[in-house]
Amino acid sequence: MTERMRESLSAIMDGEADDLELERVLRQIGEDSELRQTWMRYHAVHAACSSAAGNVQHFSDLSIDISSRVRDAVAGEQTAGASRWQGLVRPVTSFAVAASVAATVVFGGQQLAQLGGAAESADAATIAGGVSPVGLVNSLGATSVQASLGTQPVPVLEPATRTAYRELARQRLHQYSQEHAEQAALNTPQGLLPFARVHRIQE
Amino acid sequence: MPALSTWRSQRLPRTPRRGRALALLLAAALPLPGLAASCPEADPEALEWLDKMSRSSHHTAYHGVVTLQRGEDMQVMQISHSVSGGASSEQLTKLTGQGAQVVREEHPLNCVHTGHRLLQLGARLESGECGVASYYRFQVAPGERIAGRKAVQVRVEPRDMYRYGYLLELDRETGLLLRSSTLGRGDLVLERFQFANLSFGAPMPSSGDIDVVYEAGHPTPSLDTGEVGVTWTIGWLPRGFAPTESGPAVSGRRTYTDGLAAFSVFLEPLSRDIRSGEGVAREGSTTSYTRGLSLSGQPVLVTVIGEVPVNTARMVADSVRWTP
Repeated sequence: MTERMRESLSAIMDGEADDLELERVLRQIGEDSELRQTWMRYHAVHAACSSAAGNVQHFSDLSIDISSRVRDAVAGEQTAGASRWQGLVRPVTSFAVAASVAATVVFGGQQLAQLGGAAESADAATIAGGVSPVGLVNSLGATSVQASLGTQPVPVLEPATRTAYRELARQRLHQYSQEHAEQAALNTPQGLLPFARVHRIQE
Repeated sequence: MPALSTWRSQRLPRTPRRGRALALLLAAALPLPGLAASCPEADPEALEWLDKMSRSSHHTAYHGVVTLQRGEDMQVMQISHSVSGGASSEQLTKLTGQGAQVVREEHPLNCVHTGHRLLQLGARLESGECGVASYYRFQVAPGERIAGRKAVQVRVEPRDMYRYGYLLELDRETGLLLRSSTLGRGDLVLERFQFANLSFGAPMPSSGDIDVVYEAGHPTPSLDTGEVGVTWTIGWLPRGFAPTESGPAVSGRRTYTDGLAAFSVFLEPLSRDIRSGEGVAREGSTTSYTRGLSLSGQPVLVTVIGEVPVNTARMVADSVRWTP
């Protein structure tokens, strides 16, 4: 693990990482076991500190609270008898996802908490100034289209959140592609071919 | 080729060649009365090819090697399709990457799913139903040889921005889809699948080491997302997209098709608030769009996966609502 990576990691821990740093760590974390270990250690310390400070975020946040699905996916890959840590380290993809989401949920926890529940109205106010630019140029010369329904505006995302969401979309693609292929195979002209788009066919 | 002749004898009574020739003549000379009234821009020849393509994919016995190209990635697989006793069986065996096989046994020939129903317009077109012609423009041209077979080319151009275009190349004799290219903006090829070789008749034995065999379900998939415990609706769909099945309102997934493309919407209620936002991942022609939002105070994650542009996925995700 390079010194630069250690710095990036530290920046993430302090909630000061920019998009690039977060991406760099996420890219590496699947291949670099030392980086993973360090991340775990940093996180353990961070979580312990947070708990001590009366913060509700617990160690379990590492296995993700964002959705039970992700948690289940990670837990499901733990082999029997293996410790929680080993289980988490082994499934590299799940871990990378866990890392990115945890980075948002845990490290960005303070900001997330501010956005939660009661902050709806404040959220809406921010949104007014920053609806995501979803408009597209109509290159086909067909009917003009609505680029967004505009009822659920997307706030401009902070770099870390953006990265985590991108990772989430990628992870969901892997998780759901077989179920989508099953339907596509019955309802599009190419027969079973949609299954070829699935990364790993599961029984 | 016994299987092929069986197929022909089944097929001929439906659309006599005489009828087709007449339709072509009429289309060239003057607009068809019924057609002109409601589908002025429908190309009857193209629609007949699509109809034929859809039927032959079920009624023909064939096998061959197929390639799927998505960007730099190229996969090779073996496909075989057999017909017996009013049902078809299909098999896809991956020859590259994962040693996986997908099989669908005993799919009844008279069970026509939403997507194929949209393509098999047949007589409905004459009764004024435009089907796929209302959201795509077609153009038929002679094609080159593919997998040793003479092909006919059907260029499919979307009439709006909510779907991709296609270049479909069909076997001139049977209508079987030999090559299909998905075209994004500026005719950029997002995905291309094609037969490298093709034989009609009895299926060949599958080769290669297979680690995983998945039996594709029918009609409800076995790999179901399960129920999410709440009823939800999708407020907006691009024109022409219809549900592939009538699942329960509490199911975590809904799939829609316009006959050529399909997308699925997945809903996950979350146990805690998350920062709202969106993320996109793309692979070939497949878009995965994930959106975190709050519906009546309940944090949810909506994911749209399918062969549609990002903007379509975004607008669909945007319109998800609780049903009171």
